[in-house]
Amino acid sequence: MSPEREICEARARLLAAGAALRMRSLEDRLRVLGALLEALRDPGAAIRSEWETALAGTTGFDAANLRSGLDLALASWDSAALEALAAREIGPAGFAGAPKAPTSRVSGFETTSVLLGGALPTPTVSALVFPLVLGSPVLARPSRHDPQTARIVERALDAIDPAFAKAIEIVDFDVRDEVLLRAFLDAPCVVATGSDATIASLAAKVGPPRRFVAHAHRISIGVVGPEAFRRGSLGEIARGLALDVALWDQLGCLSPLAVFVVAGTNAVATADDFARALDEALHEIERELPRGCVPIEAEAAIARARSDAELRKAAGLDVSSHAGATHTVVREADSRPREAPLHRFVRVHPVRDEAALRDAIAPLGPHLAGVAIAGFGVLREAVAGIVLDAGASRVCAPGRLQAPPLAWHHDGRAPLLSLARVGDLE
Amino acid sequence: MRPGSDPARARLDAKLLEWMREPASPECWPQDEARFDGLALELFAFQFERIAAYRSFCEGRGRTPRTVTTWREIPAVPTAVLKELSLRSFDAGRIAHVFRTSGTSAAVRGALELDTLELYEASLEPTFRVHVLADLAPGERIEMRILAPSAAAVPDSSLSHMFATLLPRFGTRESGFDLAPDTVDPEALVASLRGAAERGRRVAVCGTAFAFVHLVDSLAARGERIVLAEGSRVMETGGFKGRSREVGRGELHAAIEHCLGVPVSRIVNQYGMTELASQFYDTPLRFPEGPRRKLGPPWARVRVVDPVTGDDAREGEHGMIVVVDLANAGGVCALLPADVGRRVGDGFEVLGRAEGAEARGCSIAADEILGGGA
Repeated sequence: MSPEREICEARARLLAAGAALRMRSLEDRLRVLGALLEALRDPGAAIRSEWETALAGTTGFDAANLRSGLDLALASWDSAALEALAAREIGPAGFAGAPKAPTSRVSGFETTSVLLGGALPTPTVSALVFPLVLGSPVLARPSRHDPQTARIVERALDAIDPAFAKAIEIVDFDVRDEVLLRAFLDAPCVVATGSDATIASLAAKVGPPRRFVAHAHRISIGVVGPEAFRRGSLGEIARGLALDVALWDQLGCLSPLAVFVVAGTNAVATADDFARALDEALHEIERELPRGCVPIEAEAAIARARSDAELRKAAGLDVSSHAGATHTVVREADSRPREAPLHRFVRVHPVRDEAALRDAIAPLGPHLAGVAIAGFGVLREAVAGIVLDAGASRVCAPGRLQAPPLAWHHDGRAPLLSLARVGDLE
Repeated sequence: MRPGSDPARARLDAKLLEWMREPASPECWPQDEARFDGLALELFAFQFERIAAYRSFCEGRGRTPRTVTTWREIPAVPTAVLKELSLRSFDAGRIAHVFRTSGTSAAVRGALELDTLELYEASLEPTFRVHVLADLAPGERIEMRILAPSAAAVPDSSLSHMFATLLPRFGTRESGFDLAPDTVDPEALVASLRGAAERGRRVAVCGTAFAFVHLVDSLAARGERIVLAEGSRVMETGGFKGRSREVGRGELHAAIEHCLGVPVSRIVNQYGMTELASQFYDTPLRFPEGPRRKLGPPWARVRVVDPVTGDDAREGEHGMIVVVDLANAGGVCALLPADVGRRVGDGFEVLGRAEGAEARGCSIAADEILGGGA
C-alpha cells in the first residue's frame, strides 16, 4: 500500500472510531485515559519497563536519567489530575460553566492530527491523551528522535480497552514529502511540535478555518535572589537547578539554559558563588544521572562556547568558567543572553535588581516557558509577576521544572480547550 | 612596505605574497607542507606577540611559540567571538577595510578588520581560477553573472568584494552583478541569464545559495528552463538560514541543473566566511574524476578534529572544523567556525552548522532566538 493511501485509510478508520469514542460519556473516557496514565506512571508496570527500554535504545538518554525523568514528570499525572483538568476546563458532561446552568458546550474535532517532535517522552503522552479526552481520535506521526512513545501509549491503551485504542492511529512517513505531509495535515485540528522554522512552514499549510495548535521552541531559566545567599540555602537551590538541568540533558523546553542571579551591587561576586555551587551540584548529579549521548555537532558547539568564554576572559572581560567532563558553567560579566549549546551547559548572569532582571529577560520573553525562582523571600510573588509578564507560562521552585502538572498551561494555552470546539448556549 | 607598517608583519606579508603569486594550475599546485608549517609558526609567533588577548588565551592553554612545534598545535579561536572582540595585530588607526557578516544589528555581526586588501585579493584570485575556471586557457575570459549585490552597493560584504576583484580579472565585458542589495528581483535574474543563454557562449554563474533558490523557484513557477551553453558552470555559496526557504544542497544543485542546464558535475560550492581571508571550493571542475571534496589554496588548511580531545578525526569520521589560514595575517590565523565536517582524501566535506543539539529537544540555542546565529 502506498504511504499516502496508508494515511488516508488510517484517517477513515479514525472517523469510525471517533463516532464510537464520542458515544462514550466524558466520565468513561476519563476513566480509560486515567487508567492509561496510571499504567505509564507505575514504575513496576510491564508497559513502563518496556517503555524505558525502548527509549534507552532510541533517544540517547542514559537509563537512569530516563527513569528519574519519567518518575518525576509522571508523579502527579494520575487519574485524579486528569479528572481535575477536565472539570476545570470542560465541566461535567462536556459542558463548561456551573453544573446547573451550563453555558458552553465543549467538544473535540472529528479527528486531530498530531505531529510529534523532540526526544522527550512525556509531552508525547499528553499530546495524545488530550484530544482523546475531548472525544477526538488521533492520527499521530512519531518524532524521529522518539519513535517509540506513541506506540507504547497505543499498546498500553489497547491492553486497557481495545475498542478505545482504535481511536489512535500511528503513521510514519518522511515529513519532507509534501504530498504525504498534506495528507497527514488534512484534519480539522492539527497539533505540531517542532522548530520555529518547522512551525512556520506548517502554519502556511494549515490555514483557517482549521485549528492549528503549535508548540515551537521554548527555553527556561532560573532566577536566584539575595536570600539564597543569606540563609544557607545556596546548596539546596543549586542542587535543585542542577536536577532541572541534568534531567533530559537540558533538551526540553523546561530545561534551564541560564540562571540570573539578582544580588545588588555585588552581583558579580554573588553570581560567582552561585556558579561554583552549581558546578559542584552538577558534578555530584553526574554520578546519579549520567549525561547521555552527545551528538558531534553539540560537542563542537560546547567546545566552541568554552573557547569563547576563555578568550573573552583572556581579553580582560570579567568572565569565569567552571567545567567538568560532562557539564559547563560560565559566569558571565553581564546579563546579555548568549548561545546555549545545551547538554548541561549553563550560563550564570549577574543582575543588579528586579528592574534589571525585567530588562535582561525581555529578549527571551516570547520564547520563555518555565522559570525556577528561589531566594526572594516575601518578594517571590513580585518576581514571579515579572517573569510571567515577560512571557513565561510557568513559575516553580528549583528542582520542579521537569515536573509540570498535567494541567499546565503549556505555551500559555488551556490544554483541553485549545483543542476543542466551544459553543455557547444563550 | 606600506608606510608606517610593522616591519615584522611586512616580512611575513612579503613571504605570503610571493607564495600567492607563484604559478598555480589545477594539476599542479603543491601543498608544500614544510613551507606552510614554517610560515604558520612564524605567523603564530607574530600574532602571539602582537595580540594581547590571543597571547593570554594561548598561555592559558600552555601554547606559546616555544611549545608549539607544528601548525596543528596553534590554538584556534571561535569565529563567533569576533562579534564582540577585535583580534588584530595592528592599531585601530590602521584599519583600512572592514568586512562584516550578514545580520540586522551591528552588535551581533562578526567582522574581519584589515589593514590591507593585498593579501586578501592575492589569495582569492588563484584559488577561484584553479577551482572554478580550471578549464580556461591562460588569459582566457568568461562571461560572469554575479547573483550578489555589487561591492559599491554593499562595501562591507566580503563576497561582493571578492566578485568585484574577480570580475575585471576573469570576466568578459558582458559580465556583471545581477542583484540589488536587500532584495531579490527574480525577473531581473531570469532576464539576465536568458540574455547570457542567447549569446550562446559559456558562462560562469556565481552567487549566494539563497539567490539561486529564488532563481530556480521563479523559473519553476513559470515553467521555464534556461539552457546555458555547454561548458558553463555555477558557483554557489552561503547558507539559507532566515532566507527564503531552506533547501538541501543536493536538492539545490539538482534544481540548478534542471533550470539552467548546468550539470551537477559543473556546480561548485564555495566554503568561505567573512572572518576568513581564503576560500575553499568543491573539486568537480578541478578534479572531475575524484570524489567531490573541498580544497583550498596551499596557504590555508583545514583540520577535522574530535571536539573533546582536539585530535584529528579519522578519515570519514565527523568532527569539528578548524581552519588555519595564513592570509589572515592581520588577525588570528587559526579559526574555529561553527561547522562540522569530515575529511575526504586530501580535502574535506562540510556537514553543517554545529547546532544539532536543538534538534533532539524542544529547547533551543539562545543565539538563534536572538538572531545572532547568522
